[in-house]
Amino acid sequence: MSDIKQIKNLKDFSTSVERFQGGHRLCPGCSHSIIVREMLNATDDNICVSTATGCLEVCTAIYPYTSWDLSWIHIGFENAAAAISGTEAMYKALQKKGRPHSDKPTKFVAFGGDGGTYDIGFQSLSGAVERGHDFIYVCLDNEGYMNTGGQRSSSTPIGGATTTSPAGKVSYGEKRLKKDMVQIMAAHGCEFVAQVAPSKWKDLVKKTQRAYQASGPVYINAVSPCPTEWKFAPEKSMEICDLAVDSCVFPLYQIEDGHKVTVTYKPKVKKTVEEYCAAQGRFKHLFRPEFSHVIEDWQKRVDATWEYLLKREEAGI
Amino acid sequence: MAREVISTGNDLAAKAAVDAGCRFFGGYPITPSSEVMHTASVLLPKVGGKFIQMEDEIAGISVALGASMSGVKSMTATSGPGISLKAEQIGLGFIAEVPLVIVNVMRGGPSTGLPTRVSQADIGQAQYPTHGDFASITLCAGSLEECYTQTVRAFNLAERYMTPVFVLLDETIGHMHGKAILPDLEEVQKSVVNRQEFTGSPKDYKPYEAKMNEPAVLNPFFKGYRYHVTGLHHGVTGFPTEDAQQCQFNIERLVGKINTVAKDNDGLDDQMDYEEFMLDDAEVCMIAYGSISRGAKEAVMKLRDEGIKAGLFRPITIWPSPEKKLREIGERFEKIFVTELNMGQYLKEIERVMKRSDFGTLHKANGRPIAPLEMVAKVKEMM
Repeated sequence: MSDIKQIKNLKDFSTSVERFQGGHRLCPGCSHSIIVREMLNATDDNICVSTATGCLEVCTAIYPYTSWDLSWIHIGFENAAAAISGTEAMYKALQKKGRPHSDKPTKFVAFGGDGGTYDIGFQSLSGAVERGHDFIYVCLDNEGYMNTGGQRSSSTPIGGATTTSPAGKVSYGEKRLKKDMVQIMAAHGCEFVAQVAPSKWKDLVKKTQRAYQASGPVYINAVSPCPTEWKFAPEKSMEICDLAVDSCVFPLYQIEDGHKVTVTYKPKVKKTVEEYCAAQGRFKHLFRPEFSHVIEDWQKRVDATWEYLLKREEAGI
Repeated sequence: MAREVISTGNDLAAKAAVDAGCRFFGGYPITPSSEVMHTASVLLPKVGGKFIQMEDEIAGISVALGASMSGVKSMTATSGPGISLKAEQIGLGFIAEVPLVIVNVMRGGPSTGLPTRVSQADIGQAQYPTHGDFASITLCAGSLEECYTQTVRAFNLAERYMTPVFVLLDETIGHMHGKAILPDLEEVQKSVVNRQEFTGSPKDYKPYEAKMNEPAVLNPFFKGYRYHVTGLHHGVTGFPTEDAQQCQFNIERLVGKINTVAKDNDGLDDQMDYEEFMLDDAEVCMIAYGSISRGAKEAVMKLRDEGIKAGLFRPITIWPSPEKKLREIGERFEKIFVTELNMGQYLKEIERVMKRSDFGTLHKANGRPIAPLEMVAKVKEMM
């Protein structure tokens, strides 16, 4: 078992040795890089990363440059979890033979977008978790296929306008509810499942460090506001993150051993879904009178989910 | 009345589908074909059609195959890696004889390759996209107009031959933005081929009771005709069989209904399978297709300015290849120049058909178009 890296304050954290360097080509204001940096800087252990096809992969390793100061594999859109399974399995096999020699343990992390996690990569992720590989799967959840032009995914929330669920006179955009990936992964029996937001960095680091300590599969769902497709100014990314968390649209919580729920952040003043939507261009059409029911319904569901989480935490089941 | 529009190749493929009677699109986002689905998502609901974005490429083609079985004209659009993922279900389309149009906007490969750059390296993949024996129909658009007309034609061929049909665009044609003159909508609608239906008693219906070189007659679901659809070898009722004679017949019919018919009739339909550009008095024949043929046309003009009588032959139906015409060209021209954006995938077919290999060639696989001046220089070397 490795030592837990001591992180006292933000300055300390942000000036520690970078595992993920700047200078990449992600859009200004993209939350992906912030999440990845916070997660990788949370440990001093060796890290091996696999990344599904997506914004993160496309923008961070364009020859002859790379942002990754660690072992990194890009394999395909649908199989980041399978790739890291192979790497982890072989690492364990070699360890039994006394190789590789290192004074630090190696951690295995897979990054995927919501397309590569909720949709096309779901089978591969489910299989890897079922087999019990010792790895952390991180979904950078920006609620759509932002790398290919902003199409809907099964993570896109109801009412979101995307290029394949366009809003117009008749349609209010996406008609389906967002898939609840955190609960699905908890149902897989993951040792640790959590939802995080980059703006709540202490919470994120704490959960990440808990994830590094786990001996089995871990799933982390990270909200990653996308200025380009959520349509807000790039400097507002962290504000949107806070809005997502404070409105409980993205509740920060964790589930241990498949059942033990802990809500890790309870907003002092709960914001409304309306405030969350108003800050983003993708929900602009919902403020037309004919679509106002969408936000109302959404608010009811958010409240119900929040209540449910609090009750489960209280009941300890 | 002909319609003048300003559009892109990808948008026109989607528009053509709707005009040709397509009412179902199932797919998955992939660069550089995503705009086909964007446009389909806007156009289809307006005409009572259905657009579904699926969870992955395999589901993308499976849902379209399922929709097609209900008698609705269906399509999917993707790029090379998507075809690779869809491969197994494309095979189901071939053996179960389900009509479907598959638009492939080609990008550099293999694997993730060059997602945002042009390529013509899926020519071989379009011929044999999956395991087993079958014959593929593949059309390749060389202009914005053709993104429209060849997609319409693909639907007609799919319904007529009861098979998946590929429409190959490439990144350049797919994203090209400009003026296109589309044929009159009524003319297009008049040209539409609909699926054959068996009208006798449901008791007598045998969907796969086709004669040699003829397609199956699959009645739309929900009309009282019950039958079995499977990817296994099947007998006349559609139920699985391992009967040696039947299996041999199945494959001979699958291949023959396209290849033999195309050979006997010199083409799959009465439409033009190729384009000849300034070939009448030419001394040297260039062969190119898709976006590369556009540069080749300019190269022809530049060569003629310099006194070299060049011409261009452009295959439009790539598979089955226009063999008779290719043979004729092989005999007529001493000097032939072949250029493609791959390492020579169609060159192999040209060599096979013409039974010679003394061609001037220019092949690239770096994701960049081939400039007319590069072609001019290569042709001059031959003279």
